[in-house]
Amino acid sequence: MTAPDPAKLYHPVASAADLMPRHVVRSRLLGRQLAIWKADDGFINIWEDRCIHRGMRLSAGINDGAELVCPYHGWRYSNRNGNCSYIPAHPGEAPASTLRVGSFACAEKYGLVWSGGSPDTEPPTIPALEGGDVLVLRSLPVNAPAALVLEALGGSSLRSGAALGTDDAVTTGTERGSANSITVTATTTDGESSVVLFVQPADVARCVIRPVLSPAPAPAERLATLRRHAGALEELRSELEDSIPTEIAVPPPVVTLEPRHSLGAAATAGGRRPQLQVGVVRKWLTAEGIAAFELAPVAGELPSFQPGAHLDVHLPNGLVRQYSLTNGPESTDVYRIGVKLEPAGGGGSRYMHESVHIGDVLNLSTPRNNFPLRRDAARTVLIAGGIGITPLLAMAQTLARQGLVWELHYFARSENHVAFGEMLAPLAGGVTPHVGLTPEQTGDELGRIMRGYAPMSHTYICGPGPMIATARALAANAGWPEATVHFEHFKNESPRDDTSEFEVGLARSNRSLRVPAGESLLHRLRKAGVDLPSSCEQGACGTCIATVLEGEPDHQDVYLNGSERAAGDRILTCVSRARSGRLVLDL
Amino acid sequence: MIKLYDYLLSANCYKARLLLHMLDVPHELVAVEFHPGREHESAEFRRINPLGHIPVIDDDGFILRDAHAILVYLAGRYHPAGSWYPTQDPRLLGEVASWLQFAEATTNTASAARLCVNFGYDFNLQACQAGAHRLFRVLDGHLWFREQEGLDWVAFAAAPTVADIALFPDVALSEEGGISREDYPALRRWTERIQRLAGFIDMPGVLPVAPLPG
Repeated sequence: MTAPDPAKLYHPVASAADLMPRHVVRSRLLGRQLAIWKADDGFINIWEDRCIHRGMRLSAGINDGAELVCPYHGWRYSNRNGNCSYIPAHPGEAPASTLRVGSFACAEKYGLVWSGGSPDTEPPTIPALEGGDVLVLRSLPVNAPAALVLEALGGSSLRSGAALGTDDAVTTGTERGSANSITVTATTTDGESSVVLFVQPADVARCVIRPVLSPAPAPAERLATLRRHAGALEELRSELEDSIPTEIAVPPPVVTLEPRHSLGAAATAGGRRPQLQVGVVRKWLTAEGIAAFELAPVAGELPSFQPGAHLDVHLPNGLVRQYSLTNGPESTDVYRIGVKLEPAGGGGSRYMHESVHIGDVLNLSTPRNNFPLRRDAARTVLIAGGIGITPLLAMAQTLARQGLVWELHYFARSENHVAFGEMLAPLAGGVTPHVGLTPEQTGDELGRIMRGYAPMSHTYICGPGPMIATARALAANAGWPEATVHFEHFKNESPRDDTSEFEVGLARSNRSLRVPAGESLLHRLRKAGVDLPSSCEQGACGTCIATVLEGEPDHQDVYLNGSERAAGDRILTCVSRARSGRLVLDL
Repeated sequence: MIKLYDYLLSANCYKARLLLHMLDVPHELVAVEFHPGREHESAEFRRINPLGHIPVIDDDGFILRDAHAILVYLAGRYHPAGSWYPTQDPRLLGEVASWLQFAEATTNTASAARLCVNFGYDFNLQACQAGAHRLFRVLDGHLWFREQEGLDWVAFAAAPTVADIALFPDVALSEEGGISREDYPALRRWTERIQRLAGFIDMPGVLPVAPLPG
């Protein structure tokens, strides 16, 4: 029988008790350095101990309870999926979903945390530890290879009974409990007890002995038991380190640890194809006409998102709808969305309200963020109208968590129309509801909010089209630079004209295409095999944006602001066209 | 006002700065260019400390050298409640003295390794590193059992003592001397507890930690 491949096994990497709140444990397995941290929601992350930016050790980072922050340049990584969620040097951009730190399998058993490269089994089951309470003894790093230590522990050359730390123990035997443990069972006058010595193969030359005692001693004897065993193990370690030759002739094992991938974060995702399946785990009416949904992954972890992100829901009836995520960074286990019933709409919201139930499986795109939140503003003003609360709720939770200065103004038709009350409650200090105002009163209130621009302030507006227009105009009057006023439309209500006909040049692929009247640029590009991502396809979300190298775009979207339109260097290919006869795109 | 003859990158000077801040004692820093100027060995500085090393304090004319002696003096003089240097309890006082002696050893190994790597000192680097690992093994075990006893600090006391301050910089900067703390989880938790104390200040090389929730 050949020895099992160590990369296919679970090995202990830490004691569960080591994972203190807001702490990052440093460990090593099969030569791979690990940063291990527990988020406030209890999820244990086992990551490669290396920031993907400049290689800084993430175990020296800051565990803020929901994100791990690299101490070097402040890159933030999300709980669960390990995706980069924020890059301080690029505060206005959403990090690409491909930016992800390698993460590894995790299990908890016998008071230890277990991991492995690509384990195809469970952590070992040791009969001696199955009886009842166990006590995790003090672990001991040993400067000797795991294989030699296991061999020595199991052999007769060492006083194995010493591992039990009872001088009067009659050692009844040592046995190889599993591929990476030795069980030492002893009988004393008090009965039988077992110490299982799990050996963590740290690297070629070092390992960590992680002993677990069963049964656990009475509370009064706990400390004395821990001391006795630790003392015995330290003697054992001295013996081991002295008996092992300093020059170890063990070839370095070539072990590739395969990072565990989160679902569907394919870099090449394009078009409007679903990439992910989720189950509806909760559905409730959060306000009059607004249904809330919690969506959990069918398998694996959910791909990452940042505040402001939205996803496409591909409904079984063929419709594709966009919904903003309301989650703050501390909830990465579900996606939470709000859906407003639009009786006069195309049927998407009606389907979500009436036909999607708990237990149903939905197809989604991965989240995409075209409304990214800067986390470097001196003050952030969030303005929500109606269902526009959804992305701003995610932003408010993020800002609150990081202790930044923010305020959220929530305009709603009535108290009954205020959604997500349970998520707003903990944020109450920063939330100002404006309920039941007429359009004129809303304008007056927005005027008051926008008054007095101070440098390094940013505002984020989401709500009905006319409200966004009013708020933007008031902000401009009050001296807010255009680059500090961020907005997101749910739909493009402006009139569109697709009667023009033009030629489009593709600079990278050196091709020319004719876009006839009645066909969108995006559609024409797709037909020609250019796979551009898209989402809302009505000029509101900004996903299908392309860079313009030559020609004058005919902007028909509601995504770009005035100066972005005037610059003429970007175009939303789903609705915008060309004023000039020819447009050259960087595609 | 207390004058502290100080060098920003010195682990020993950092010990004095740390306690001055934690006790909230107003003080003035007098920069001594340890590297590359070797100002601490100048004739002028030897008039303040004939041994030619820093830190030194001058408290209204009372001149005192040696980091650990300075810690003892500052705690006794500026912390009347007495928990930093607990003279009322002979056992505790003995323990603190013993750990201050231990901190001399970490200075001569862990911090000496850092002097080799960062400032080009001609010590036996490998011997310094091996010595530091021997000490860290002992300290990690000690702190692990302190945690099991429900205690946070090196001495058997509910509050930190000057011994914690004396040990902290040698430990917290050890990676600069090539001494990894991967094998010492209890030591890593203890450095975080020190960093969360009121009045804590950092120095280059000491990375920030997350505040605890609530």
